Amino acid sequence: MFAYILRRLLYSVPIVFGVMLITFVLFFVVQSPNAMARRVLGPKATPQAVENWLHNRGYDKPLIVNTKPGEPVYDSLFFNQMRRLAVFDLGTSDVTGRPLKQVFASGALPSLLITFPAFVVGFAVALGLALYLVFVRNSAMDMTAALLCVALMSMPVMVYIIFGQYLVAQVLNYFPAFGFNLQGWSTTKFLLLPVALMVVSGLGAEVRLYRALFLEEMGQDYIRTARAKGVSNTVVLLVHVLKNGMINLITLIVASLPFLIMGSLVLENFFGIPGLGNVLFTAIQAPDFAVVQASVFLGSLLYLVGLLLTDLCYAWVDPRIRIQ
Amino acid sequence: MRLDFASMCPPVFRFRSAPLLAVVASFVLGACSNNPYPPAQQALREDGSPWLVRYGAMPEDPRSLDPQVCYDSVGKRILEPIQECLLEYHPFKTSPYELRPCLLTALPEKVERAEGGAIYRCTLQQGIYFHDDPCFPNGKGRELVAEDVRFAFQRMADPKVECPALSTLQDYVAGLGEAFESARKAGSFDYGKPLAGLQVTGRYTFEVHLSQPYPQILYWLAMPFAAPVAKEAVEYYDGKSHDGVARDHFRFHPVGTGPFRIAEWKRNSAIRLVRNPAYHTTRFPEDGWMPDQEALLRPLAGRSLPLVDEVHMTIFRETIPIFMLFRQGYLDGMGLGKDAFSSLMTPDRNLSPKYQERGVALHRDTEPSTFYMSLNMEDPILGPNRKLRQALSAAFNTQAYLDIFHNSVPIVAQQLLPPGIGGFQPDFRNPYGFDLAKAKALLAEAGYPNGRDASGKILELTFDVNANSADERLSAEFEQKQFEQLGIKIRVVENTFARLMEKLDQGSFQIASGSGWSADYPDPENFYFLYYSKNLPPAGKNASRYKNPEYDRIFEKMAVMENSPERQDLARHLTALLSEDVPHILLMHRSLFALTQPWAPRIQSNPMLEGGLKYVVLNNELRDQKRREWNRQALWPLGLLLGSLLLGTATAVRSYRKA
Repeated sequence: MFAYILRRLLYSVPIVFGVMLITFVLFFVVQSPNAMARRVLGPKATPQAVENWLHNRGYDKPLIVNTKPGEPVYDSLFFNQMRRLAVFDLGTSDVTGRPLKQVFASGALPSLLITFPAFVVGFAVALGLALYLVFVRNSAMDMTAALLCVALMSMPVMVYIIFGQYLVAQVLNYFPAFGFNLQGWSTTKFLLLPVALMVVSGLGAEVRLYRALFLEEMGQDYIRTARAKGVSNTVVLLVHVLKNGMINLITLIVASLPFLIMGSLVLENFFGIPGLGNVLFTAIQAPDFAVVQASVFLGSLLYLVGLLLTDLCYAWVDPRIRIQ
Repeated sequence: MRLDFASMCPPVFRFRSAPLLAVVASFVLGACSNNPYPPAQQALREDGSPWLVRYGAMPEDPRSLDPQVCYDSVGKRILEPIQECLLEYHPFKTSPYELRPCLLTALPEKVERAEGGAIYRCTLQQGIYFHDDPCFPNGKGRELVAEDVRFAFQRMADPKVECPALSTLQDYVAGLGEAFESARKAGSFDYGKPLAGLQVTGRYTFEVHLSQPYPQILYWLAMPFAAPVAKEAVEYYDGKSHDGVARDHFRFHPVGTGPFRIAEWKRNSAIRLVRNPAYHTTRFPEDGWMPDQEALLRPLAGRSLPLVDEVHMTIFRETIPIFMLFRQGYLDGMGLGKDAFSSLMTPDRNLSPKYQERGVALHRDTEPSTFYMSLNMEDPILGPNRKLRQALSAAFNTQAYLDIFHNSVPIVAQQLLPPGIGGFQPDFRNPYGFDLAKAKALLAEAGYPNGRDASGKILELTFDVNANSADERLSAEFEQKQFEQLGIKIRVVENTFARLMEKLDQGSFQIASGSGWSADYPDPENFYFLYYSKNLPPAGKNASRYKNPEYDRIFEKMAVMENSPERQDLARHLTALLSEDVPHILLMHRSLFALTQPWAPRIQSNPMLEGGLKYVVLNNELRDQKRREWNRQALWPLGLLLGSLLLGTATAVRSYRKA
């Protein structure tokens, strides 16, 4: 087991390196460091100000390979940044100069306060509905639910947000349309609406997916055997179908868990939640390469951790799988 | 048939649990309100009167609140009430603009400098203290002295600080450029070295030495770049650790002398300012307002500032939530963007009756700015052919452009100078404004009758645009069609903002959109320098590469003159030269609509101030009353929702049990 984990961690090094290289190339294909400085400093910036800005952030170095005579080949923007990231030094924001460790640390909690409850509630509701639809499969109820699910899936998340803000916050005046204040119990009023919208906007797709997975289990021989033995519907659904169907669901659930910390780009923006989604959105607009790069770095690490955890969980829940 | 819900529901939903659920639901709702703000710092002032909080919106976090760095409007809006400047603009006098002392006792005294240039002698007010802050011994703010001004000027030349004013001021303030260069070579700035341009002559007195005449220096003294900074604050908040605590940078901890200080800054969310109880630098003006404001403002004359106790600025990246909170009474004012325009305005550009009934007031603010398209004077086709440039200018229907793409809000620019700037001529009309027949005649005179040259070939010109959005592409298409009415062909080249800036710098364009200038200070020099031949890119902003010896001669004379009728005449002459030579196609002076609530009347609209927060007034009682009225909660929809959920669950359970 230990050797397996170590091997997987070592595999992740070239993967992360590749991801960082692609991000770097894509970012600077779209705009040069000079163009980035111009956008940050505004149209009134003088060449002297631009040059000074680039110099202070190390953007005056060659991009990937340093071909200047007498200077090391690796003394370039990319390799200098990779050296920093290798020791988890995320650096500072290009725009504000704020340490990125601080930026990410302060954004993680607001993001989790939205995504985690939404994930748990969304999963529970979708699971319950999917099991019920499996039970009433091919009935009028099932068809109606399928239609509703497709309708829910078809609407862009923006529609949910704008309609939710208008109806719940503006017309009914139940919750704030915007804002976030982390202060004990009163924080709840800022969370309920975004969490509810996140659950509803994801419900259609999740119910359809879980229903399909459970239906597959319903067709298995062991279910037929259980029914033949006179096992009740409740036991068939909640013990046999749910338990075995969960093996497939684990891939999706565990892999998505680490991403909860990254928040939701659109939702956080529309509700003014100062989470990591908001940070990334701002960085892309600015543009703030340091923040984008650090976000991609953390995102790729989280993804790899998620995949590793999924594999370990598979071995844990399914006795047929052995980790070697 | 009677439905037996109790038997249909699972145990948790049976009616014996319903009261509990109802209590929980009412508790959740009771704890909830749609007010998005935390409680104010305090409910009442020391004298028992209400603690007044102003609620505003801004689009992003300030990028820097370092006075020597802050140049963007968001940063300036927050910094203005925290960090006062040596001089300030009179809030009501805008035609012409008037500077008045702020931290200084009087306007600087100008004397000739023996080596050429000028010396400005300044005296600081005594008894002004920096905000209380941990950077000072015992946390008590110390008195402002002239050394703080010297430190600020030295910081301008420090390459690590990145002061945007350096590139302009180094040409005038003695020794500033040299100090920058020597620090750049050494790798660090030596604050022990004296700076020739700023000489401290006493505890409260100092002189600004200019190497050449530059009367506009007074305007720079009204900007935060020259605002005094406490050395202790920079040394304390420089990102180092003290007592084991890692501290943020000085740029996020301004320690000023202004009427407000930052009480709380939640990044990406909100900034809260509270009044500085020791503030006494300035008072409410005693004159200068319009006669119709007499009843409102006379009682305030001479009163101590600020007039509100707390300012809560929320960061909104989207415009829809701003509109929602404004409608609920949770914002005291808002700018009117495209999203809410049709909801709030009638087709004849008035506020809709619904909002007029609410007491909302509409204001039209015209910025001291001018936007235009640049024509490249070094281009072999456009440069030598003045008639062709005139034809292009006359072919462009600016009013139609503004009607379609800007809701008719901005003003069509007739001249380079925007309204309010000395030398602006209200009656002046651009001789090559929109007139299609005239444009066609000019084109023929230019050698391109019906858009064709002598060989019959259609004239083709390239038009570089900034096209990052669908709106910008539509705008480019419209502009292209305007020119093509002449029978010529326009090839549109789409660019990113940065690429377009590069092309303007390099001169690799024929016609380019995206040019414009917003006044740093209300002086004609700040606009006419855009066409001075010694101001060519990349160092300068003369993107059209306009070179006219007569223009240069008049500009050089006008730039160093004090305001006078003769100076106004020179400014008019420059306008006439530009109008005839057409190095640009004038578009607009940007205007914006803004709305204010009935409890927060607008008392000043000086565009040189960034909000003027110390002057804002507020009627707290009216706001509380309106908010209660506009935000009543209806409980029946919640009951309906819960009922539907229960019914749905019950039906599902019933069908399950039947099976």
